[in-house]
Amino acid sequence: MSREALQESLSAVMDNEADELELRRVLNAFDDVETRDTWARYQIARAVMHKDLLLPRLDIAAAVSAALEDEAVPAKASRGPWRSLGRLAVAASVTIAVLAGVRLYNQDEIAGVELAQQSNQPALAVPQVKGPAVLAGYSESSEATGPMANGVLQGQPGWHDQRLPSYLRQHAQQAALKGTESALPYARAASLENR
Amino acid sequence: MRAIPLLTLLLGGWFVVPANADEAQDWLTRLGQAEQTQSFHGTFVYERNGSFSTHNIWHRVQDGKVRERLLQLDGSAQEVVRIDGHTQCVSGTLIAGLGESPKSAARALDPQKLKNWYDLAVIGKSRVAGRAAVIVSLTPRDQHRYGFELHLDKETGLPLKSLLLNDKGQLLERFQFTQLDTADVPSDKDLQAGPDCKTVSLEPDKAEALKTAEVWHSDWLPPGFELSSSSSRKDPETKTQVSSLMYDDGLARFSVFLEPLNGATVTDTRTQLGPTVAVSRRLTTPQGEIMVTVVGEIPIGTAERIALSMRSDATAAKQ
Repeated sequence: MSREALQESLSAVMDNEADELELRRVLNAFDDVETRDTWARYQIARAVMHKDLLLPRLDIAAAVSAALEDEAVPAKASRGPWRSLGRLAVAASVTIAVLAGVRLYNQDEIAGVELAQQSNQPALAVPQVKGPAVLAGYSESSEATGPMANGVLQGQPGWHDQRLPSYLRQHAQQAALKGTESALPYARAASLENR
Repeated sequence: MRAIPLLTLLLGGWFVVPANADEAQDWLTRLGQAEQTQSFHGTFVYERNGSFSTHNIWHRVQDGKVRERLLQLDGSAQEVVRIDGHTQCVSGTLIAGLGESPKSAARALDPQKLKNWYDLAVIGKSRVAGRAAVIVSLTPRDQHRYGFELHLDKETGLPLKSLLLNDKGQLLERFQFTQLDTADVPSDKDLQAGPDCKTVSLEPDKAEALKTAEVWHSDWLPPGFELSSSSSRKDPETKTQVSSLMYDDGLARFSVFLEPLNGATVTDTRTQLGPTVAVSRRLTTPQGEIMVTVVGEIPIGTAERIALSMRSDATAAKQ
């Protein structure tokens, strides 16, 4: 079977215009990873055109196959209550697979607080500045020239070097004197001294 | 039997929690009262870009007096002892070096005021330090401040976890208890300062200091920020008179430092350390060049604008 014919059939199935033969052709070819990828791409293209909610890479077929593989033996062996239990388990696994897929994918779109919780670690690893400041390794620096010397203030060693740590310290400590959440400003102040 | 997969689906889909502003306000009020009424001791971690530290805290409320001792557990043993918000002693490199101006009395958290600048909402439940917690989010209404996510202890209202988030939702700092005991009241021994804790004395020339600092004002301030204290002190090393002003919106704070350059050539700088930003800008006044440095837990653009907006009243009077 030619690739092109298959792709045409895929397209027809997707548009709900496939005849019996095309449907069969697609179903036969569907064990092939490449075919499934093509199918997924078509879905994405269609979703974009229709501005639909989109679940790429959500390969339910694979999840169902996996679930079936795990379940196969007890379901076949006895036709008693195990059978329905096996089917139930398959149904539950599929449900979970779908839910997990939807949640994983949608996390990309959840803005704000929830996103922040999920991405704590990467956010911490990235320096939060766009300016010329060099922050990484600030606390590791034990140079006598002071922490601000790390490329931030080349050209005028001394002035900012001398002032900024003192300003930061004063700010943190003054803040610790105020407010009810006293432990937080204290911790900020202490973290400036950990060099 | 068929209903069970459906049930799984329903349970799995249940992760939307309704937000409630009034409830959030109540929780913040409880938070404000908690540290004035609740004794506790525990261990917390503090994490920001490039720094991670662990600390012990003992907090005792007895006969209307709040005694508190904080001790860093890793690295240098940095320690602070405070009674009713007044620093009694500090250790290690945590040099106090600050007078406590009359205005510097601790201000209680005021949810009514915070509501003007932050959207308050209870956004869910969590578990921190083995205790049930309620998550309260404070989302800024403008770009001039950061958002907070507070996990408050259900039982006492104490903050078990506090996250500072920028406008992209990136985490700037984390404060989080790993263990908290609210049942046992800390003993005198627990609250006793270690031998390295140096007693802090108040600066004598407070009145003079205030007068100098109040010469300065800002043409522009982010909405909601008010002057909470001002002081002026002579730097012991450089012998220059540095004025400092502190502003807050009830939650976020920034300080402005003003120091005469005395002919030194210094360039403008911007630095960020985790949540804290420092922006320096030169300002030319008839009295000479002044370096204006804004330090605080605010976005860098806001700090920049404040630095550019500082004006001397003395100048204005002369013109």
